Amino acid sequence: MTAAFLLTALFVLLFVGVPVAVSLGLASVLTMLLFGDQTLLSSSQKFFHTMQVYPLLAVPFFILAGTFMTTGGVARRMVAFANALVGHFRGGLAMAALLASAFFAAVSGSAPATVVAVGSVMIVGMVASGYTRNFAAGVICNAGTLGILIPPSLVMVVYGAITESSIGRLFIAGILPGIILTVVMMITVTVIARKQDMPRQERASFKVVVKTFREALWGLMLVVIILGGIYAGIFTPTEAAAVSAVYAFFIAVFVYRDISMPDVPKVLVEASKITVMLMFIIANAFMFAFLLTTEQIPQMASELIVGMGLPVWGFLLVLNVLLLITGNFMEPTSVVLILTPIVFPIAMEMGIDPTHLGVLMIVNMQIGLVTPPVGLNLFVTASVAKLSLEETIKASFPWLLVLLGVLVLITYVPWISLVVPNLLLD
Amino acid sequence: MRIVIDRLEEWLMAALLAFMTVLTFVQVVMRYVFNTGWLWSLEATTYSFAALVLIGMSYGVRTRTHIATDLFTRKLSEPLQRKVAILAILACLVYAALMLYGSVVLVDRLMTLGNDARDIPAPKWLLTITMPLGFVLLGYRLLEVGWQLFRHGTGGLASGQQHAPAVDEKSDHQGDNP
Repeated sequence: MTAAFLLTALFVLLFVGVPVAVSLGLASVLTMLLFGDQTLLSSSQKFFHTMQVYPLLAVPFFILAGTFMTTGGVARRMVAFANALVGHFRGGLAMAALLASAFFAAVSGSAPATVVAVGSVMIVGMVASGYTRNFAAGVICNAGTLGILIPPSLVMVVYGAITESSIGRLFIAGILPGIILTVVMMITVTVIARKQDMPRQERASFKVVVKTFREALWGLMLVVIILGGIYAGIFTPTEAAAVSAVYAFFIAVFVYRDISMPDVPKVLVEASKITVMLMFIIANAFMFAFLLTTEQIPQMASELIVGMGLPVWGFLLVLNVLLLITGNFMEPTSVVLILTPIVFPIAMEMGIDPTHLGVLMIVNMQIGLVTPPVGLNLFVTASVAKLSLEETIKASFPWLLVLLGVLVLITYVPWISLVVPNLLLD
Repeated sequence: MRIVIDRLEEWLMAALLAFMTVLTFVQVVMRYVFNTGWLWSLEATTYSFAALVLIGMSYGVRTRTHIATDLFTRKLSEPLQRKVAILAILACLVYAALMLYGSVVLVDRLMTLGNDARDIPAPKWLLTITMPLGFVLLGYRLLEVGWQLFRHGTGGLASGQQHAPAVDEKSDHQGDNP
């Protein structure tokens, strides 16, 4: 009864256009007042306490680092380096776009930001070299989803915070799936490029490769600092995030000089805006999760599912379908925040590794980002590529098969998500 | 006056974010390089973080950055859309009122207990007062947006859709919305 009221209230509020954050909060508070024995005092405490959850401090810092990086010409330098590496293959610019997205994903924790950064440099160039605008948009839109898979990733921070599992471990777990997805997409480009006889660039001289590498290095060092620091046990992910933010500021203002000192407050305001938007959702989601726990709703769901005698592979299949559907209608953080408190205890009961579950959820969210009706990457790509939404959806569609293929691989081969963290951290 | 208040919000948010970032960074450097640190640093960071989010909630209403979905409302006729939008704002006001009540009780409780924060030499209620303040501001901005919608039929909550709220054409400072 309680669960039914809570979920009904949540979805009614979402449907009438109440912001996601308020929908989560109001549904929880109302349910609590009507059925629970908690008071408004305890929900306010829970809300305030969210900002004192140490791992979540990484959210504002990573966003700030990402904002400095997105604003600066970091993406442009990464594109130049990627192009020097793979531009001479058939379909070289498309491959460079993929590679540059992977590089940029390693300094940004967000998928739409990756699309904006790489797309605004790359799409014009691809069209000028004879690629169709639609093909360019399809590549950029899907490659941009790497932003939440390759560390740092904001979705991983949120998942780690709400499940109280290690964020450092999740970051490191995202590396191999990220590389696999990049390689699979590059192979796909090669196949299409052969078939359609796409242009190639002149091979870059070794000198150019070195020069572009040295310019891109300042940006790429960011991920080295984050992962190296976490791996060596020097930083917590939160500290790594703060160091990245200061590093990104330093690079953007003093090394690359893309941002002048007087522009820095603007970057700060922009980053605050995104931080608040996310944290407002997260704080309300923590109230929601708190209510679920005190009402023992996950336990009930868990008993129900385990009682059905579903095998692990069957559970994973159902979970994927659930995540894909929800991911179609909501953006990644909200999906992870709403579903994780319910799904996590069941998965633990079934013996699924928390890190594997996290990676699996993220790959599902990547697909949600490129599928209508609510795919953030589609909207962003449409505006960057100057295409209509319908054209973007059509252009992005074939790549869905690639993502789905990788999802199946990630779901049923936990080894891919676990081998690197097991090797490095245990 | 309005412009001053609007600017003040932005200025405060930027300052809090910068403060948190620099403080955490300095703390890392001090701990690993000089092997010391300030005890109050973490608490100062988390209370600033709370203040940033709480002040920012209402700013988000004004700048329409909160994410909402318009998948279903979009299909309604225009006058009906407006009515539903006002309904949504009313729901938000109920939320703000309930949370305000909860946070006033919380601050009151902390005042009665009279404890200082763990590491900062300041009473806990004073550091928590940003919460009722934040919900008052949220209510105020909601009323403002609601009134405008009611009287002039313009504006509304949120970005109206999940279209990348952080991406706007006029600035390069593109968002990091995951």
